[in-house]
Amino acid sequence: MTLFIEDGAPVIVQGMTGHQGMTHTARMLKAGTNIVGGVNARKAGLDVTFPAARDGEDATIHVFADCAEAKAVTGAVASVVFVPPRFAKDAVVEAIEAGITLIVVITEGIPVADSAYFVELAQRRGARIIGPNCPGLLTLPSTPEAKGCNLGIIPDGIVGRGPLGLVSKSGTLTYQLMGELSDIGFTACLGAGGDPIVGTTLVEALQAFEADETTKAVVMIGEIGGSAEQDAAAWAAEHMTKPVVAYIAGFTAPEGKQMGHAGAIVSGGKGTAQDKKEALEKVGIRVGRTPGQTAAFMRETLAGLEG
Amino acid sequence: MDLYEYQARELLAEQGIPTPEGIYAQNSHEVAEAADRIGYPCVIKAQVKIGHRGQAGGVKLAKDRDDAVLKAEEILPMTIHGHKVSGVLVAEAKNVLHEYYVSISVDRASRDFDVLATANGGTEVEAIAKEHPEAVKRLHIEALGDFDIEAARAMAREIGFYHADVEQAAQILLRMWRCFKENDATLVEINPLAKIGDPDDEASKTLCALDAKISLDDNAAFRHDGWKRFADARSGDPFELRAKEHGLHYVHLHGEVGVIGNGAGLVMSSLDAVSGAGEEQGTGVKPANFLDIGGGASAEVMAASLEIVMSDPQVRSVFINVYGGITSCEQVAKGILEALDQIAGAKPIVVRFDGNAAAEGLAILAASHNPNVHVADTMEQAAQESARLAAEAKEDR
Repeated sequence: MTLFIEDGAPVIVQGMTGHQGMTHTARMLKAGTNIVGGVNARKAGLDVTFPAARDGEDATIHVFADCAEAKAVTGAVASVVFVPPRFAKDAVVEAIEAGITLIVVITEGIPVADSAYFVELAQRRGARIIGPNCPGLLTLPSTPEAKGCNLGIIPDGIVGRGPLGLVSKSGTLTYQLMGELSDIGFTACLGAGGDPIVGTTLVEALQAFEADETTKAVVMIGEIGGSAEQDAAAWAAEHMTKPVVAYIAGFTAPEGKQMGHAGAIVSGGKGTAQDKKEALEKVGIRVGRTPGQTAAFMRETLAGLEG
Repeated sequence: MDLYEYQARELLAEQGIPTPEGIYAQNSHEVAEAADRIGYPCVIKAQVKIGHRGQAGGVKLAKDRDDAVLKAEEILPMTIHGHKVSGVLVAEAKNVLHEYYVSISVDRASRDFDVLATANGGTEVEAIAKEHPEAVKRLHIEALGDFDIEAARAMAREIGFYHADVEQAAQILLRMWRCFKENDATLVEINPLAKIGDPDDEASKTLCALDAKISLDDNAAFRHDGWKRFADARSGDPFELRAKEHGLHYVHLHGEVGVIGNGAGLVMSSLDAVSGAGEEQGTGVKPANFLDIGGGASAEVMAASLEIVMSDPQVRSVFINVYGGITSCEQVAKGILEALDQIAGAKPIVVRFDGNAAAEGLAILAASHNPNVHVADTMEQAAQESARLAAEAKEDR
């Protein structure tokens, strides 16, 4: 087990037959993800072929009418959701009801009331949601023979297996830090998502990395809005034995303006990058001024662990 | 999307929450007519999407028609804390006996809905929370929960409404929740929720929403056709409006370096890097805008973005920062050159590409031999270079 999923675990894709779903299912397959089905009620029964997508061979993926059928036939444990915002709530609820235990929601633009609903439902049913509005979860295989899981849109091939964990509110900053630290490698990279309410918070990601024996240190990327970084600082101060290095985006963001992500907004003087930085530094977590400096801090931290 | 007070009152009134009679007016003639209908004295309230308007002189009492027009003529041309007044609300003046504060909002930390309330209203809730934290109650409504009249009564008692007000307060709490839910709001705030009436006549006393603030969840616009009536074209920034037409996330920041990138986090990070470079170089150069081209942007999207950013007369240089995931740097490079062909009066551009098709993108830029296109290896270097070029261009003028 790396983070929330076993190597090679069976995965379905909700919204696979849409444009985004097709593009990224092909990518995920090429990255070695064990995709066993798609879900779309209107295209149930269809077989979709992805040319040269599985170890260079064509991959044929069956489309099921719903998650319950897909799970019954394939034994899928995880689902990646590319369903458009207006249908996303029903899709996620369907996955939870079917007993899927890991649901990665890539969709951007889901009403916050819908996210609040399915996140609470998932908590009650013991399912884990990652996202929404996130790049997904990438786990690197724990043995050379095994295959990791690329659940979402994180580009494959930037990084290999190594001792770092990464959690981020932002997609491209995830790729940026993965790139900066590609020579060291990762156990898992988790996009927590840029919405006000997400299924897996920074704290929950830190908890998972703390529990994972193979992760030695964690990069955490935050941004303006809310207090997830402060909560993470407080939790880390109490419970985290592994070092954390952080980066925060949005020092120049003006009050009351949404900076791209629905959750990236400073309101009533709350949620500023400066507050987050101070909260983290107060508990001894170093915060890089730039992604480059953050990577440099992580290198120093690792060198310290070895020494 | 934040609503004006007069719009928020509409949504409260739809749910049957009592509000004083009020009419929105945009000029002296409309104010005189509205004030005659409301009666005297009446209150003239600036309609502006920012707090503290009372202290700024945006709320005034008028005793007769001439006074109403006079006060409105003072308020209508005002800009309050950088926000232009859109009009005034002419409202009944009420005799206030006591003030409560109640709001419902999305609680990001507990991932449900937060009811913040105090029985000792009158000043700012933040100030009360600081001085008398015990007086401010923070209660929750679960996303899957069933908030009914019983739950509302229990909540009204817990907040500390006077015994005589509990039943009406419970009705109002329940209606606020319906207003919040049915409208996909992220905030419904009544401040003050006032006890009004004749102090000597118990029967005349009642609760009334004297002021209200509502924010709506932009992500839910697809299921609320009625929100078109809240569109506020007049007060919007022209660059932001144009970007919106192209489906781009743009925020105008009024500095000198235009910033374009893919992904909200990377663009925010680029803004910070530009500000940092301006400080280090001692020029005080700042970012001109936030512009996220999103994932998988085409050459057309890139060209439109560059065109919008370059049309800002304050912009002296542009920093383009792309980490290609789904986005292909090759497409972005084509878009840059396409836009440069169309734009007269070129400004220097510093490009940093990494990831998907970065080498192909850089090759296309190099082959163009365009003197205005500069390339940097890292985003830090690109930020430094674009800040330097902006400062130079500023001096030349």
